Amino acid sequence: MTLTVQAPVDLPLETTRSDSPGPKGRRGLVMTLVLAVIALFWISPLALLVITAVRPLSDFIGNGPLSWPADFTWKNFSDAWGIGNFATTYRNSAILAIIKVPLGVLVSAMLGFALAKLRMKFRRTVMFTVFLGLTIPIYITIVPVFIMMRSAGMTDSIFGLIGPYLAFGIPFEVLVLQSFFRQIPDEIIEAAKVDGAGDWRVFFTMILPLSVPALVTVAILDAVATWNEFLFALILLNSDAHKTIPVGLLNFQGQFANNNTGLAAGILIAVVPILIAYTLLQRWIVGGLTAGSLKG
Amino acid sequence: MAGTVALKRGGRWSPWLFAIPALGVYVAFLVYPALSSLWFSLTNWDGLSASYKFVGLSNYFKLPHDPVVVTAVKNNLIWTVVTIAVPTAIGLLLAIALNGKVRGKPILRLVFYTPAVLPLVSIASIWGWLYNPQYGAINSALRAIGLDGLAQAWLGQDSTALWAVMVPAIWLRTGFPMLLYLAALQGIPNELYEAATVDGATKWQQFWHITMPSLRPAHYIVLALSLIDSFKVFDLIYAMTYGGPGTSTQVMGTWMYFNVFQYYQAGYGTAIAVVITLVAIAVGIPYVRSQTREAS
Repeated sequence: MTLTVQAPVDLPLETTRSDSPGPKGRRGLVMTLVLAVIALFWISPLALLVITAVRPLSDFIGNGPLSWPADFTWKNFSDAWGIGNFATTYRNSAILAIIKVPLGVLVSAMLGFALAKLRMKFRRTVMFTVFLGLTIPIYITIVPVFIMMRSAGMTDSIFGLIGPYLAFGIPFEVLVLQSFFRQIPDEIIEAAKVDGAGDWRVFFTMILPLSVPALVTVAILDAVATWNEFLFALILLNSDAHKTIPVGLLNFQGQFANNNTGLAAGILIAVVPILIAYTLLQRWIVGGLTAGSLKG
Repeated sequence: MAGTVALKRGGRWSPWLFAIPALGVYVAFLVYPALSSLWFSLTNWDGLSASYKFVGLSNYFKLPHDPVVVTAVKNNLIWTVVTIAVPTAIGLLLAIALNGKVRGKPILRLVFYTPAVLPLVSIASIWGWLYNPQYGAINSALRAIGLDGLAQAWLGQDSTALWAVMVPAIWLRTGFPMLLYLAALQGIPNELYEAATVDGATKWQQFWHITMPSLRPAHYIVLALSLIDSFKVFDLIYAMTYGGPGTSTQVMGTWMYFNVFQYYQAGYGTAIAVVITLVAIAVGIPYVRSQTREAS
């Protein structure tokens, strides 16, 4: 079970393996067609969502969900944007991610550095305890966390989410980062120390710059997880002004149950940032995932 | 020589300065709440009032007599088996196909992995919308191909609801094994296949004697992470069916939530969470140990 993070490069497009002695490319073409059909089927829920979001409700009801729109409109988006309170939920989710992700990556990198490169007592115990967090379901903590936040006066505030989000992000981030740091040769660290650098300088001027690929991967996966988190946000936030995207979407879904096109537009509004980010950054995400682990 | 320099500088407590921010957050917001849940599970606390009584293990003794718990355990088991077996099998097949001579691999990979980055609540909204009895795409498609008899309220009846919720789970969970298997397949040396071909091994024999054994580490990671993940199921079911109709889609996670936040039985709800957490930890420990061992 090697868990190594390489710089996330695209998986090679062509395999080096040459099978099929027969007519070259024929089998490849058939396979491409088969996969293309499956892919179309796979993506059809999202495709239908897009098509529905840009047609008037009357057109959708008149011609059925599977028809090609006779008419196009942007009105669904403006309706959904206003009623779904998306300006607020977007802002809340964004503030949360902007504070939480860098903080989480920094403290995880620090712990990862101590585990990978410093002579730390009880190292194995600390590692085991932290990695055990990967298996622990969020809902075992919600009652005590709810009580803690209530007595701290931090319920119904997105800042109350930062602590629990950090805690549940740490196991995965430390797991990936410490294994990456371990690949950095000890010699260069020792050389720096001979020159008089302390642990902090080594960490900030050598380890972090050398680990940018791993840090970016971890940050992206963490941002996706933060953006998508639902249970803590559901129990800790109650007023509309403080809701995050997933909780806002749940309410919106209830309100728009009978407006199929508006609902489609609202769902799209909620997922578009993630889809854009994923499309642009997918090679990092793919690199991070194939590196061996996934945050649940 | 250099090693001793590394030892002297920094001091014995230096590693802990790096470790403490992450460990502090982890203990405060994950370990401590999880442990205090153990205590709450031994009380009759309602979740609201200031006082409660220690009741020993009686919450745990109540569990087997609660018909909803019986349903939830059954649903958790079905969920675990299906949402591990089906996505893993499809993911493996897709990876093998994508590892051959196929065009457009980056796009195909993007398509199959996309559902995995969407918020679970949005996936629930999308599929709830597809399953809509009148205007949903699924019933419309069935009617369009003349299978009107099969069109039904997928999420609204006991017999189909759980299976209907599993479809989006399969949709979103296929991408990860696919990526992991794809990476693993590309690590198998060609020479193995070439030698086998020279020896007259059929494709099928090559698959069973070269491909499958080489994928063992990937199988292990996929299985371990899927198992850990399966026990945590909450968001999809909560957002799609709210545990209903009746109690037909309750799982331990949702039943815990309802007990704590709807029926004011925080003690009992926490006992449910403790049980599922212990199972999740027991299942996850071999994986956690392998990751800890790997590191030293």
